[in-house]
Amino acid sequence: MNSTLTFILAFMAAAIRMAVPLTYASLGESISERCGIINIGLESFMLSGAFFGYTAAYYSGSLLVGFICGMLAGMLISLIHGVLTISLHQDQTIAGVALNIFTLGVVTFIFTVSASSSGGASIATLQSIPIPVLSSIPIIGDLLFNNDIVVYLLILLVVGTSFYLRRTFWGMELCAIGENPQAADSVGIRVYKIKYLAELFNGAMCGIGGAYITLAQVGRYTDNITSGRGYIALAIVVFGKRNPYGVMLASLFFGAANALQYRMQSIGIPLPSQLFVGLPYVLTVLALLVSARKGSDPMALGKPYIRSMR
Amino acid sequence: MNNRVWGTVLLTFFVLLVAAALILIVGASPLDAVRIFINGVLGTSNGVAEIMVKATPLIFTGLGVSLSLRTGFFNIGAEGQFYLGAMGAAMVAIYLTALPGPLRILLSMLAALLVGGIWALIPAVMKNRLGISEAVSTIMLNYIAIMIVGIAVRGFLQQPDSALPQSAQVEEAARFPQLWHPTRLHAGFLVALLCVVLVWFILERTSVGFEMRMTGHNQRAAYCLGLPITRSVALCALIGGGLAGLAGCAEILGIQFRLLEGMSSGVGYTAVLIALLAKNRPFNVLVVSLLYAAFQVGANSMQRQLGVPSAIVTIITGLIVLILLGSSVGTKMKESKGLKVKT
Amino acid sequence: MAYLEMRGITKGFQGVLANDKIDFCLEEGEIHALLGENGAGKTTLMNILYGLYQPDGGDIFLRGEKVNIQNPKDAINLGIGMVHQHFMLVSKMTMLQNIVLGLRPYGSPFFNKAKLRQDLEALCERYGLGVELDVPVNRLSVGIQQRGEIIKALYREAKLLVLDEPTAVLTPQEILEFFDIMRALKAKGCSIILISHKLQEILDVADRATVLRDGKAITTVKTKETNEVALSNAMIGRMLQEGSAHRETFAHDQPALSVSGLGLQEKEDLPVFKDISFDLYQGEVLGIAGVDGNGQLELAEALTGIRKHSQGDIVFRGQSISQLSIRKRFELGMAYVPSDRHRDGLIMDADVKSNIALRGYYKAPMSKRGILAANYIEETSERLVQDYHVKTAGIGQQSRLLSGGNQQKVILGREINSDPSVIIAAQPTRGLDIGATEQMRNLLMNFRNQGKSVLLISTDLDELLQMSDRILVMYKGCVAGVLKNDETLDLDTLGLLMGGYTCEVVADEQ
Repeated sequence: MNSTLTFILAFMAAAIRMAVPLTYASLGESISERCGIINIGLESFMLSGAFFGYTAAYYSGSLLVGFICGMLAGMLISLIHGVLTISLHQDQTIAGVALNIFTLGVVTFIFTVSASSSGGASIATLQSIPIPVLSSIPIIGDLLFNNDIVVYLLILLVVGTSFYLRRTFWGMELCAIGENPQAADSVGIRVYKIKYLAELFNGAMCGIGGAYITLAQVGRYTDNITSGRGYIALAIVVFGKRNPYGVMLASLFFGAANALQYRMQSIGIPLPSQLFVGLPYVLTVLALLVSARKGSDPMALGKPYIRSMR
Repeated sequence: MNNRVWGTVLLTFFVLLVAAALILIVGASPLDAVRIFINGVLGTSNGVAEIMVKATPLIFTGLGVSLSLRTGFFNIGAEGQFYLGAMGAAMVAIYLTALPGPLRILLSMLAALLVGGIWALIPAVMKNRLGISEAVSTIMLNYIAIMIVGIAVRGFLQQPDSALPQSAQVEEAARFPQLWHPTRLHAGFLVALLCVVLVWFILERTSVGFEMRMTGHNQRAAYCLGLPITRSVALCALIGGGLAGLAGCAEILGIQFRLLEGMSSGVGYTAVLIALLAKNRPFNVLVVSLLYAAFQVGANSMQRQLGVPSAIVTIITGLIVLILLGSSVGTKMKESKGLKVKT
Repeated sequence: MAYLEMRGITKGFQGVLANDKIDFCLEEGEIHALLGENGAGKTTLMNILYGLYQPDGGDIFLRGEKVNIQNPKDAINLGIGMVHQHFMLVSKMTMLQNIVLGLRPYGSPFFNKAKLRQDLEALCERYGLGVELDVPVNRLSVGIQQRGEIIKALYREAKLLVLDEPTAVLTPQEILEFFDIMRALKAKGCSIILISHKLQEILDVADRATVLRDGKAITTVKTKETNEVALSNAMIGRMLQEGSAHRETFAHDQPALSVSGLGLQEKEDLPVFKDISFDLYQGEVLGIAGVDGNGQLELAEALTGIRKHSQGDIVFRGQSISQLSIRKRFELGMAYVPSDRHRDGLIMDADVKSNIALRGYYKAPMSKRGILAANYIEETSERLVQDYHVKTAGIGQQSRLLSGGNQQKVILGREINSDPSVIIAAQPTRGLDIGATEQMRNLLMNFRNQGKSVLLISTDLDELLQMSDRILVMYKGCVAGVLKNDETLDLDTLGLLMGGYTCEVVADEQ
């Protein structure tokens, strides 16, 4: 009995750890999509966060510097995406794919060049900070209240973003832009400015999320370390209906599926582990099919807002 | 007119400058790099052959994606179509041993075409019937396809008596013939060339292709004038996906000779850039694919001999596309109208 | 001193004067209607007032002081609110959210639903307007949505309200409620400008009316001192019918096209059009008159198959075509010149010869067994370009580069090339210069003179009077009346029908 419990706890802890970068990215993307920008280039945001965050931490010796640089790197890439799609009205999908390929190239290039000299060495990863009292609660105390600071920050961000969306005028204006940018413009909302802010927020979130992979999970950068998490975040956003709590739960679900994949052998289930890797995607497609009928996407999602001649 | 020429010249100059800078960062001399690059590409028969080998999947997927883009359907799903097409081809080639080799090869290609085509049709139908944006759905299907292949090579297609995640081997008779010993160049390249001609012919010379082109320009007008737009878009998705599937088939029957994971090296995404650079035209796709492949071969040489990371290829290609998007040349790209819901 | 005075307002677009030295006065607390046909300049004038356009000449005075309105924000700050014909509402949000959108009512960014609701309910009470605040807008009726738009303006402290064709989308009951609201607002001190072409409504609710025609202000009258005949007179003006005499008349025995009880209902709101019945005979031009937005263009689309109608039947060439596809209808002989040629009639990015091939490319002789017969297509294109005098650098030129008139000729040439028996022409001369307009009209008349039929939809009365054998007037999606275009035609009757009076009512008046 005890070993089952240990197994489950370890599994859930792994699920939470894996879900953190996904939650950051999908939180950022939720905000972005709510004002009409769909970002296929999430992968590039996370990758730059992962790589530059690691590099900065390595050379500065400080994880804080690493996380900040990761965040800034994500914001820089997102700025490029923003300029292309918001001001220049280019297609969001194309810009995203191009950025993914370009950023992977840049990061791999720099990594290959510098690794030859410093070897991509490991650095000490982020330590957990147990919350006094609460973390002593049997069973769940360790799971929920003994995490690192980035996780605690994430909880705050999720709560804060939800509050922002539901209880502030800022949030309402953001959603208005995603539904009907012309109506928003007509009441004096600064459409372009808010879109850029959303884009930068997305970049910051993905940057932190990406940096978490190298600085808190793995401890070093390896080639293409994000390996598709950016695309997974897109699925999570659909699944979670662009709602902060929704995407957090969906991220946990995907994280759990991921964690399960590595544990299939040990618990002797004869199902192929690939099934668990792919299952969330199947469910996302089903979610897409179900939600499509209700027209729950922001109406102006994916369309550049061009203030036309009246 | 003049602006265009100037723009291209400036872009080329700038790109070469960036490339030179990257080479210098590594501590190599750009002049050496040029020499080694040209040598690697044109100097050996292996180099020249590798260009065609690497270009083969690019041509197929590039054609497929460009066909989809022409009707405003953003097919980011070429990866998935590649893998499932490969799987279809592998199943036919490995298991239908009763059939003679050449027939098996033909059927493999057909299987790849069908499976890839259907895999592209699914997101197209989702968009047409339910208004679901294909940007996300095609990527999801990519992962599902990879999952299916992953299950297959560990399960019902796995090579007997082996623990490795791969299928049984395709026997000699059912492989694409090698064209140029001892290089890897195989008949798949010729099939790719044939496809370029076929796609061009269909688009420019047949009534079906005419429909596709017109629908892609302005779906609403095409609809009002009686063109069968649903059929057109569906056909485009089918053929586009089928071509990507053929890329997978070529990889199986010409290079790997068995079904594996990770065969695509991201060709489905690269194809999007190639299609864009080629302005979705079949012969341009051929040229851009060959150039890209040549760039890859040359970059590999530079990596081997000078330590210049081969990622320089993706940097330069990505940069070119980003610059094109950022300048007025990109306006053509943004005008491609998406698949609108009818009326 | 008038509350609002617009003096000498002039505004031109690409050489056409939309407003020509217009003087307009609005007294405080009055309801003032702005009347005119399509293109008379009403919306332009109001857009200038709201800051969406800048006038080329003229000034605006509010309460005697000159004001400079650069954008809608300036207008709102001056107490001017506008309710456009197409609502600016975010459909998934509630009315409450829509009303306060873009504002910080209490200075803080935090959304205090309870307090906002309190304030809005008080506002609604003050003006006697009821609106559901917590329902998503897309679930509200159009009438309620409109009320929400009005409240939106009132919440921003508008004292002057401009409403553009407010009753266009309302049911008769909602129109009565709308009148009550207008009167209530007036009682509370608002000054209101109504843009409309509905004569009866204007006489019912407005205090004064100003008529615009061809960009000029024609007259301003007190509604109590006038009647619908005088108003419609001013709107249309007297016109001589030229060229209608030299027309060979054909016997109207066999209808080429017969429409009975045709109706189209898209949402639960008003039907787009309803109970449309008419016959189109051989050798005639049947003009469809009516101010834009009364269902004519949708009718054309239903006839050609672009839209599916909900009730009724269309009989063409002796058979019911209601279930037939667009292509099949064309093959039977129904040609179409759409009002939006860039969106519906031509593929702008394609060359001239491709556009010419669009109707017939799929069968012989333009293609054989699936392969395009490039030579035949080229020959046909050259021939048509020549016959119709299309000015182009060549059949390989991109259609986008042709002038409007030439684009229209390409369309007409293509449509007529397959020998149709009916042409449905919607606004065929819109946006064309005088020369091109003349050519188009001649081409259509030639078609008619060969014994074929034309259904001509136009907002240009001159055009309709010049070309039609009969004129059918559409108003709010119904047939208001059908008049013969000969010496017996009474322009007043025509104007009244367009303004919403039915034939019977008109007969009573006379």
